[in-house]
Amino acid sequence: MLTKFETKSNRVKGLSFHPRRPWILASLHSGVIQMWDYRMGTLLDRFDEHDGPVRGVHFHATQPLFVSGGDDYKIKVWNYKTHRCLFTLHGHLDYIRTVQFHHEYPWIVSASDDQTIRIWNWQSRTCVAVLTGHNHYVMCASFHPKEDLVVSASLDQTVRVWDIGALRKKTVSPADDILRLTQMNTDLFGGVDAVVKYVLEGHDRGVNWASFHPTLPLIVSGADDRQVKLWRMNDTKAWEVDTLRGHMNNVSCVMFHAKQDIIVSNSEDKSIRVWDATKRTGIQTFRREHDRFWILAAHPEMNLLAAGHDNGMIVFKLERERPAFSVSGDTVFYVKDRFLRFFEYSTQKEVQLAPIRRPGSVSLNQSPRTLSYSPTENAVLICSDVDGGSYELYIVPKDSAGRTDYLQEAKKGAGGSAVFVARNRFAVLEKSSNQVLVKNLKNEIVKKSPLPIAMDAIYYAGTGNLLCKAEDRVTIFDLQQRLILGELQAPAVKYVVWSSDMESIALLSKHAVVIANKKLVHRCTLHETIRVKSGAWDENGVFIYTTLNHIKYCLPNGDSGIIKTLDVPIYITRAIGNNIFCLDRDGKNKLITVDASEYIFKLALLRKRYDHVMSMIKNSQLCGQAVISYLQQKGFPEVALHFVKDEKTRFNLALESGNIQIAVASAKEIDDKDHWYRLGIEALRQGNVGIVEYAYQRTKNFERLAFLYLITGYMDKVGFMCKIAGQNNNLMGQFHNALYLGDAMKRVEILENAGQLPLAYITAATHGLTEIADRLAAELGENIPSLPEGKTRSLLIPPAPLTASGDWPLLRVMRGIFEGGLDATGKAELEEDDEAAGADWGDEDLDMVDASEAMANGGDGFDAEEGEANEEDGEEGGWDLEDLELPPEAETPKNAGNALSVVFVAPPPGMPVSQIWTQKSSLAGEHAAAGNFDTAMRLLSRQLGIKNFAPLKPLFLDLHMGSHSYLRALATAPIIPVAVEKGWSESASPNVRGPPALVFTFSQMEDRLKAAYKATTEGKFPEALRQFLNILHTIPLIVVDSRREVDEVKELIEIVREYVLGLRMELKRKELRDDVNRQQELAAYFTNCKLQRVHMRLVLGSAMGLCYKQKNFATAEHFARMLLENNPNESQAKRARQVQQQCSGKKDSCELNYDYRNPFVVCGATYVPIYRGQKDVSCPYCGSRFVPSIEGQLCTICELAVVGADASGLLCSPTQLR
Amino acid sequence: MASPDLLFNLRNLFYLGAYQAAINNSDVPGLDADAAAERDAIVFRSYVALGSYQLVISEIDSSAATSLQAVKLLALYLSGDKESAIVSLKEWLSDSAVGSNPVLRLIAGIIFMHEQDYTEALKHTHSGGTLDLHALNVQIFIKMHRSDYAEKQLKIMQQIDEDHTLTQLANAWLDIAVGGSKIREAYLIFQDFAEKYPMTGMVLNGKAVCCMHMGSFDEAETLLLEALNKDAKDPETLANLIVCNLHLGKPSSRYLSQLKLSHPDHVLVKRAVSAEDNFERALQAVA
Repeated sequence: MLTKFETKSNRVKGLSFHPRRPWILASLHSGVIQMWDYRMGTLLDRFDEHDGPVRGVHFHATQPLFVSGGDDYKIKVWNYKTHRCLFTLHGHLDYIRTVQFHHEYPWIVSASDDQTIRIWNWQSRTCVAVLTGHNHYVMCASFHPKEDLVVSASLDQTVRVWDIGALRKKTVSPADDILRLTQMNTDLFGGVDAVVKYVLEGHDRGVNWASFHPTLPLIVSGADDRQVKLWRMNDTKAWEVDTLRGHMNNVSCVMFHAKQDIIVSNSEDKSIRVWDATKRTGIQTFRREHDRFWILAAHPEMNLLAAGHDNGMIVFKLERERPAFSVSGDTVFYVKDRFLRFFEYSTQKEVQLAPIRRPGSVSLNQSPRTLSYSPTENAVLICSDVDGGSYELYIVPKDSAGRTDYLQEAKKGAGGSAVFVARNRFAVLEKSSNQVLVKNLKNEIVKKSPLPIAMDAIYYAGTGNLLCKAEDRVTIFDLQQRLILGELQAPAVKYVVWSSDMESIALLSKHAVVIANKKLVHRCTLHETIRVKSGAWDENGVFIYTTLNHIKYCLPNGDSGIIKTLDVPIYITRAIGNNIFCLDRDGKNKLITVDASEYIFKLALLRKRYDHVMSMIKNSQLCGQAVISYLQQKGFPEVALHFVKDEKTRFNLALESGNIQIAVASAKEIDDKDHWYRLGIEALRQGNVGIVEYAYQRTKNFERLAFLYLITGYMDKVGFMCKIAGQNNNLMGQFHNALYLGDAMKRVEILENAGQLPLAYITAATHGLTEIADRLAAELGENIPSLPEGKTRSLLIPPAPLTASGDWPLLRVMRGIFEGGLDATGKAELEEDDEAAGADWGDEDLDMVDASEAMANGGDGFDAEEGEANEEDGEEGGWDLEDLELPPEAETPKNAGNALSVVFVAPPPGMPVSQIWTQKSSLAGEHAAAGNFDTAMRLLSRQLGIKNFAPLKPLFLDLHMGSHSYLRALATAPIIPVAVEKGWSESASPNVRGPPALVFTFSQMEDRLKAAYKATTEGKFPEALRQFLNILHTIPLIVVDSRREVDEVKELIEIVREYVLGLRMELKRKELRDDVNRQQELAAYFTNCKLQRVHMRLVLGSAMGLCYKQKNFATAEHFARMLLENNPNESQAKRARQVQQQCSGKKDSCELNYDYRNPFVVCGATYVPIYRGQKDVSCPYCGSRFVPSIEGQLCTICELAVVGADASGLLCSPTQLR
Repeated sequence: MASPDLLFNLRNLFYLGAYQAAINNSDVPGLDADAAAERDAIVFRSYVALGSYQLVISEIDSSAATSLQAVKLLALYLSGDKESAIVSLKEWLSDSAVGSNPVLRLIAGIIFMHEQDYTEALKHTHSGGTLDLHALNVQIFIKMHRSDYAEKQLKIMQQIDEDHTLTQLANAWLDIAVGGSKIREAYLIFQDFAEKYPMTGMVLNGKAVCCMHMGSFDEAETLLLEALNKDAKDPETLANLIVCNLHLGKPSSRYLSQLKLSHPDHVLVKRAVSAEDNFERALQAVA
């Protein structure tokens, strides 16, 4: 039993789950009804209007209502939103035991000690039926979830099933008058709205509870005879099926589980029992020490149960609902309904992979708890609690996806937890001895590693490492070095989630998330008030996790927040961008789309990726008070500035970020004294005198202004201030300013004007203004104040300011991080695109004899010599003792002395792969790759008549050089050249040698052909010729796989040959400057070559032009016509038509050796036409034609073969040999 | 709990070709005498692998342990003083007191392998005793194209410690040598190393060789360029790049001249030179 929530209270007699919200009603013996949030564990409300115990309570399925019935004979209907009792139904004459809403009609059924069951209409607030028949207290009554039935249990030892079909008909069609008339009649005669259908007798004592099966025609009942009975019914009768014995006292409540095939009952014997409904055996018993159980309730949707007892209630579930899953690359593997399945994120496809074993014993919580997957071996480890902790290993064949028929015998073992630690190794925790067993895929132990401290679970922590979990901490343990690599205090970790780069780890415990790096250095801890369920790292390094009711994020600095609220718990498997993939409790994959912009924004701020911040500000509606206050808190007022429209906030943010310009603008908008004043202070702090002055002016703060002028050296402005003060009759100000100015006369004048004649006189006298002093003395008469004696006089002159004008050097203000931040753009990492474009060579099975196998007869008796130990180093004396302490492997080398070397016979070397290649092959390219150049040449000579090998030299060398790769093995030992073979496939068997992978392939030839075409189009004839020749030279050495390709190769030879011939003629033509006739002929012959249309058009165009110029009009017209037939472009066509017009009917001016009506080929050496019927010879390789006199010479087209030589033909594929 | 293996890390670095890292991390505290001797041998072998022959020759004096003397011989041999190295090697080997030293025998195996005298090499190494020796045996047998014998040696290694880095490496060598479906396994072994330990040129080259044998030359090129970034002068990287580029139809001549300049003794260079002679000879034979 997994307890989710517990309360302490008075005896709980009634319970009801809310169908959607996480709420439960508990009615107490004290008369109070409590409404709890069992997820948060808080008391939401209490309803205290019943007088005496409340035994029955029930939520309405859709309305915000619940009903209660108590010992005060009252049925009350409440609205929990308004916290009010809406009305009370009166009628029962004794305690009310249970109340229940109908799921569809506005009905309430109630059972009472007055021996009746009543059905009420809560809309009309009347009793619509009274079901009589029980002759003792009716302990419970409830509607059937689908049919028109009511089941009731009574202390009269019976269970009754009532048919309320008539009542429903009356409700459905109340308007039917005739029917109503008859009904009224029947009503008068005792009512047949509800009739007893079956009376189930069998219990020996009073029956306390009876309830229907949610789908099947079954009833379960519990009675004071301590028995639970199972009943079955059909249309006509009902009968007892079986009795479940086990309770030691009165059974108080019993029900079928909605989702599993089990029965749950509770009793006054202080126990809850779980029974298998099919086998009718007890599965499990939960006992409490002191509390008798009274009531059970099941959640209508979720897998939750509640039980009320003497001192409160518990909300619990019987089995864990978390599906076991493991994410690997683009897929998540998980277990659902006894099947191993996987889900591909990219395609969102679910595939059933293989069935897994059912646990032998029927008991609870045997389903898989964790799953570990090894992608390369396609192996899955499933751990469960079966037999006190065990694992099963399944190796799924790659091709079995989707096949369900196939059930594989899993390899099993005992162990607390098991997890893959490498591709083909997994670790199993053996708790009893506290050691980790490392096993291979055959389930054999490879290694044992004792753990330094007692651990209760292990998790993956990178290849070869384990994350071990103890009560209060986790450690990373290196299995090979047996070293602890990192340790972190973290209480009761339940799940660990690694980021995809294995750099960060999140440790999930019941109420906390701890983030650490791969060395388990703590980064941050988040505490949650409710349970943490699951989590995943998104691609930006944000940890996305779920609690019972929220999806939340956690940034690397520990900032967290809510992304979305959840109705039901989910288990996140992956987070990418705005998409969160998760598994729900039914094992269904779901995709939740969330708005990631908030945390992406915060992350960008955190990482100082201001370019992202910038673009997010521009492109999204992020604005909100929360974001602004976040920015302010995190010290980004300057960023926040960009969000704010409100001037006051803007002003404050501007001041905070020191952005005077914006502050001034805002201050102008606001224009009140306080803001100007604060602006002045900030401007002064920055030394921006202009703004300070402006601010003082705006607030008319003359004293500060004057002082500012004084210290900045604007003496004229001080004088001006002095005048203003005079105009304002501000004597004090005027005097101050005069003092600042050091103007004694002015001071005297001011004092005089103010009527302070004695002061004025003293001032004047002191400063030696004798005239004025005398005048004042005269005015004062006898009241002349006496000047202090013995003091030296000096003129009070203010010190000169250091800088006499302008702003002070301004403080460097962060003028908006964006300017700086924007430089960081373009740092987007280039995606490395290293997907192999695997050469798709077919499965070449040449059935080569395994040469090394065949050679393996020599050199036996190698292993036998191990045994001869020698102990001949007796003279070493004392050293001997030390030697004995050495580990055993240090002793074995002693065998190796000289004595043995005589006996040892090294095996003869095997056959190199390159030799194997040549043995089987008659393909020149393969011989060249193997380095057997002489045989390669002989083959070429025989097959193609090639005699000139000079052009082939670099090709031979390349083939040979590319035939081996180089493997560095032991340090400083010679490296191993390894033959590169062709046609590798996953299923190729080892030790069977394939043919060499040649560096020249047919597809390369096609690419080169394209390049050569391009050069031709661009008119780079020497370049094009070189490229075509290159192709022609390479072809004898390539090897293709199929007959079809052989034909393509032959085709390619022809194409290239035509071009080589044509280009050679064209180059020849360009050399001939004077012989215009020959030039025309060569141009004409060029048009006879088989070319691509685009080239043909160009060739025709040039030939046409040439002939037209030389007034060979008929030939020119012929070319023009041909050109028009070859899809020319606009300008070509125009030109051709012009030529055609000009030439029509005219004759050639001179005779050319060119008769286009008579088919011909051109001699490759002499470039003369060989008309049909004339004798010719051809090149055995490229097939070029020549006049007979050329026979025996080297072919001028391919430069390789001898014209007219005997040859067997091109051999470029092993398929030609079969 | 068994005592932690203090030299584990150092050995791995050495075997995986991170010689400089091995030297830098050789200061392991708390070693007993045997472990310290092993450490010293690894450090000097690393120096040899890095080509610092003179340093090794001058640092190891005549009083040093046999294993270090052996490493000195190797340095002598590789620095070009082949004859005297072999003479003193034979002398050491015939000395019954030290002739069975595993490091000495290992070095003997390596030197005779360079001499292409595999029988002589095997004479000293065939009885094994350390994983190093067995690994060398695997390598010798592969060189002799006797994968059947190599496999037997590997089996012995697997019985000693299946998960040992050297066992895994030897397994990969053999897998590559026998080819077929085993190539994939070799690739996975190198992949495991890449995940577990810092990437080294050797691991990258190993992966690249597997890729080439599986026909994925593009992927091999990516890996090799990564290796070239780590060490622009690594001869194997250059050699494999040449081969890879040939298959991709890309120019490789610059790598070839680079290799010819920096490592004129490299197998690929030697093969290329002999191939040219071979061609001329073949021309004459055919003509």
